[in-house]
Amino acid sequence: MDLVAQLLVNGIVNGSHYALLGLGFGLIFGPTRITHFAYGPLYALSAYAAWTASVPLGLPIPAAAAVGIAAGALSGMIAYRALYRPFERRQSSGPVVLIASLGLFIVLQNAIGIAFGSDTKVVSRYSADVILLGDVVFTSVQLYQVAALAVIGALLALFLKRTDYGKALMAMTDNPEMARIIGIDTIKVSLLAFALGSAIAAVPAVLILLKEGATPYMGFTAVFMAFVAVVVGGIGSLRGAVIGGFALGIVENLGTWKIDTEWQSTIAFIVLFLVLLLKPRGLFGRAR
Amino acid sequence: MDYLLHILVMVALYAILAASYNLLIGFAGLFALSQAAFFGVGAYTTAILATKLGLAFPLPLLAGVLVAAAVGMVVALPALRIGGDHLVIVTLALQIIAIAIMVNWRSLTGGTDGIAGIPKVVLLGVRLDTPGRFLPLALTGAGLSLAVAWRLASSPFARAVRAMRENEAAAQAVGKNIVAVKLAVFAFSAGLAAIAGGLYAHYISFVSAETFTLDVTIYVLAMVILGGTGNLWGSVLGAVILTALPELLKFIALPPDIADKSRQVLYGLALIAMLLLRPQGLLPEIPTRRRRIFAAAAVPAPLGATGPADGAVTVAGTGLERRFDGIVAVSGLDIELRRGRIIGLIGPNGAGKTTAFNLMTGFLRPDSGNVRLHGTPLAGLRPHDIARLGMARSFQDLKLFAHMTVLDNVMVALPRQKGDSLRYVYFAPWIVAAEERANRGRALAVLDFVGLADKAGETAENLSYAEEKLLVIARLVATGAEVLLFDEPLSGLAPNTLEAIFPIIRRLAADGKTICIIEHNLDVIRGLCDTAIFLDEGRKLAEGAPDRLIADPALAARYFG
Repeated sequence: MDLVAQLLVNGIVNGSHYALLGLGFGLIFGPTRITHFAYGPLYALSAYAAWTASVPLGLPIPAAAAVGIAAGALSGMIAYRALYRPFERRQSSGPVVLIASLGLFIVLQNAIGIAFGSDTKVVSRYSADVILLGDVVFTSVQLYQVAALAVIGALLALFLKRTDYGKALMAMTDNPEMARIIGIDTIKVSLLAFALGSAIAAVPAVLILLKEGATPYMGFTAVFMAFVAVVVGGIGSLRGAVIGGFALGIVENLGTWKIDTEWQSTIAFIVLFLVLLLKPRGLFGRAR
Repeated sequence: MDYLLHILVMVALYAILAASYNLLIGFAGLFALSQAAFFGVGAYTTAILATKLGLAFPLPLLAGVLVAAAVGMVVALPALRIGGDHLVIVTLALQIIAIAIMVNWRSLTGGTDGIAGIPKVVLLGVRLDTPGRFLPLALTGAGLSLAVAWRLASSPFARAVRAMRENEAAAQAVGKNIVAVKLAVFAFSAGLAAIAGGLYAHYISFVSAETFTLDVTIYVLAMVILGGTGNLWGSVLGAVILTALPELLKFIALPPDIADKSRQVLYGLALIAMLLLRPQGLLPEIPTRRRRIFAAAAVPAPLGATGPADGAVTVAGTGLERRFDGIVAVSGLDIELRRGRIIGLIGPNGAGKTTAFNLMTGFLRPDSGNVRLHGTPLAGLRPHDIARLGMARSFQDLKLFAHMTVLDNVMVALPRQKGDSLRYVYFAPWIVAAEERANRGRALAVLDFVGLADKAGETAENLSYAEEKLLVIARLVATGAEVLLFDEPLSGLAPNTLEAIFPIIRRLAADGKTICIIEHNLDVIRGLCDTAIFLDEGRKLAEGAPDRLIADPALAARYFG
């Protein structure tokens, strides 16, 4: 029973991580309809920015985290401006944009590898506190992972409901064509979506840096899990992305109760497969 | 020298991979990310069967092809049914699973150590253990694979694939099972990639997971994009350039790890640059060009009478009901169509006329109510099933296959083509060839019937508006369906053109077709229809002689209101 409780806690922690990744990915995909594969390496870039600020430059960790988040937001906006916008202007088809995104993915992933080397970068002066609650063990970083989702999720919900920009973003998610017709500046909103989505992704990136360290390849799993969370939850629904993320995290960890840990990624795949078979539009997808 | 021959072997293997990927993304317009996984499935199946069971070439390779095709079908089916972005994510998941199996299922795959000692191929007493000796086999393999791909790309099946890529709804409407078509192309592409894998395993004698990562898919993708999507020679060219070019990097002294990463950066940049500057690739897809098409000497009768124009009920819809998000589109609609009669559907915009067509032809499922064709209930049938059973429809926005020739637009719609089946394409090509000749005659006869025979070789997008409307009619007639539903076939045409089209539709009715027409132009309804049905807000308000309906002041008020 203790094992199950422990696995459930791990599941909630990983679920929060995936949910954040899904939120950022979904926030970009919703209004822009861009399958942003380079989300992965930009996530990695944020972690490396935070590492650079913290280790070689010696900034305190909160400041380094801020640098990571700023780097994420900025690089997201640059990706939209420099890569995706030109394709939008040419009215390129979805697959063309997706292929371009893969191109950026592979360029950035390898550029990071060339710049920083392939070894794992850690912030060695930071060590997480271990918290014992009954028989269940977790660390302060894991706690931050869950808290980050709660705070960011709440702020994002407020932003989307209360502010003009938030409403514009939701309108564009519903119907980009209509949003343009009623006078929403769709380029500005897309830019905002990229900035916000990438900034959100930077938070789990910094936390993973503190937890496990950063590698050039960390972005691949991140974008994959974000994508799966969004598809499982239902494309176009941010609430779905969060629930999809939790579903992945919990199933993945409870699965290791009976299955060896190296098959974790396989479990995520099986969840995806079952959802597509049983609920093709995802758990919260809209019928089209 | 061996070094150069080795590069040539790799070019041959990558040419197979690029061609297989091109069939999928270029020809079929299906975007998947699992080509490296299928390459790996082929290589590992070959390695396992050759080392553990001691099977001799080419058995393990052929088994690899079958395994890859089967895995591809099972994994892709749910995603293909949904469409859209789902294939991307499912194939990406497949890629991850494939690597997980290669690394973790140690008893089968050797885990991270991979499988070594795969026996070299021995052919005619020669052990193919050097690049020079292997090269002829690699080239033969590539040649055969390309020939097989080429046959696919130039078959009637490819015409259906192209039609599907241009417009899925229209392809379904002419009776193509698009899920089956996609599945066939996907399995085919996976099988071809596995050939490259099997050859690779025998050539290198060693397989491990690193060779089959997503990076390889992106690498091959770069070849396809560089060479040109939809052009197989382009894929060969792409393979040559992107295999040979990075070798030049070796002359710059860089640590191997950095060199490898720089190579990848170059691929990525090449990919983006190509998409921005020349998205069609170095060798663009050859369009089905304008051709001079000579009318077949003896034109077989295309349009023999379907049956007596006796007014018997062929289609009966009862109590049809459909809502969208609570808004009623069609409600309690009863509709009967009769053989040899032309029935008009009229009513203001949003009255539910097109929805009624969608419900009858399986493009939408009714919330309640049912449709019967000759007494057979159509519930649960998909559009292509219904088209094959004999009820076909056209679209208000035409949905022509714009980049195909006029002739191909009609030929693709002809029913029961053996050439749509890969079994016939490969194993009975003479039957397919004979059928093609006959079908060409039938298609030309249909074009002649609507007066477009002299445009047969033209690309559909170059037609005038009136000609496009005629082609829509021709394509619908070509399906051979006995019930023809026309969605605004005459809208926007000049009066004298209308006069020319009336006899065509009347002739179809006289030949025993059952015809239903959605039309706004009351002159058309009056001039053409035997009966008219007035729809408003999803309900049938009146049915009767067109003159009587049009004269009804209450209906007129609604119509023009």
